[in-house]
Amino acid sequence: MHSPVEQFAIKVLFALNLFGFDIQFTNSSLFMVLAVLVSFGFLFIAMKPAAVVPGRMQGLAEMLYEFVADMVRSNVGSEGKPYFPFIFTLFIFVLFSNLLGLIPYSYTTTSQIVVTFAMAIVIFLGVTVIALIKHGLHFFSFFVPAGAPKVLIPFLVLIEVISYFVRPVSLSVRLFANMLAGHTMLKVFGGLAVMIASAGGIFAAGSLLPLIAIIGLTGLEILVAVLQAYVFTILTCMYLNDALHLH
Amino acid sequence: MLSKMRIVKSGFTALAAISFIMGSQLSIAAGGSETKGLPQLDISTWPNQLLWLAATFLVGYLLMAKVITPRIGAVLNTRRQTISDDLKRAKDAETEAKQMKENYESAIETARITAAEAASKAMAEAKAKAEAAEVDLTTKLAKKTRAAEIKLSKMRDEALANIHDVAKELTLDTVSSVTGIKVKKTEADKAVKKVIKLSGQEA
Repeated sequence: MHSPVEQFAIKVLFALNLFGFDIQFTNSSLFMVLAVLVSFGFLFIAMKPAAVVPGRMQGLAEMLYEFVADMVRSNVGSEGKPYFPFIFTLFIFVLFSNLLGLIPYSYTTTSQIVVTFAMAIVIFLGVTVIALIKHGLHFFSFFVPAGAPKVLIPFLVLIEVISYFVRPVSLSVRLFANMLAGHTMLKVFGGLAVMIASAGGIFAAGSLLPLIAIIGLTGLEILVAVLQAYVFTILTCMYLNDALHLH
Repeated sequence: MLSKMRIVKSGFTALAAISFIMGSQLSIAAGGSETKGLPQLDISTWPNQLLWLAATFLVGYLLMAKVITPRIGAVLNTRRQTISDDLKRAKDAETEAKQMKENYESAIETARITAAEAASKAMAEAKAKAEAAEVDLTTKLAKKTRAAEIKLSKMRDEALANIHDVAKELTLDTVSSVTGIKVKKTEADKAVKKVIKLSGQEA
């Protein structure tokens, strides 16, 4: 019997040698490449007709675009426009990684803390740099809540600073934990079904129960995959808004 | 929305914890392979993952920024433009139709006025003509009547004069044949005139 977390193991598919560097092509790499290829392929084919009256595929592609554009517009405002391509890429990348991971025998790259944390830390550093360039030293007023009693200010600043630096952690752990938990749970119920079925006789019929649970969970996991991609993106928008407007 | 998410999240965390315990126990029960813990925490795989993440995300960003988003943006722009153009065209057509209707109505009004004027003019002309004709006829008739009257009175006078003569002759003849007396013409004339005068007095 396999452990339910064995599905997260990195397996080397083949070794690559690029300019003398040893780059292993793993299952994780494969699904990162697939996320880019599938998302780009879908959007490219969907937008191929470029029709004024869109078909189903084009309508879906436009919906994704409008969804992210609305998110940026309502959370960041017109100043967020230059960052739209990045936020769109982020949403699409996370969404397709999450959804591709739900296909049986596939790999969920966003269930790797290193992947989500890398994205989160890049967003965190990028946003901080944007804020520093835009506001200079005035940026540090961000940590001082307006209208707070003077006595409380040191504590509040401390809390604000901590909460600011916790951002990349919470952002990455949220996505990672959701993916990890969902996939582990699916595997546990799957293992349970197999175990009950192997008991044989009348007991085997009992394996239907975890099977039904898996069906429900898969639906829930699709929701979580989309929702977490949305949460990841909207939080990025909020951080960007803080950087551009300091509250 | 947020509270719902929080509930889902906490539920998930609890379920994840349960599944971890169950999972480890299942693998122990099955006498499975070594339990190393989470593969995610194996630091040796991180550089490779980071490298691939950077490479794929960069390529994805370039594809989205250079190909996909400009294309979708252009299509959406074209659509907005088309819709606003069509709306403008429809508005123009509407005002044009309104103008045409107004023109048509004013033309009809003018035509109606012209027709009414022509009709009244024709009527007045006809009336004048009829009146003139009537006047003409009346005067003609009056002339004719007058001439006839004159002629009639003349004829009557003549007839009356003739009656004197006839009565004179008759008297002369009657007297001569009855009495054999030759009556002078002047005397007869006198007598007739006297009788006529008498009869005229009687009448």
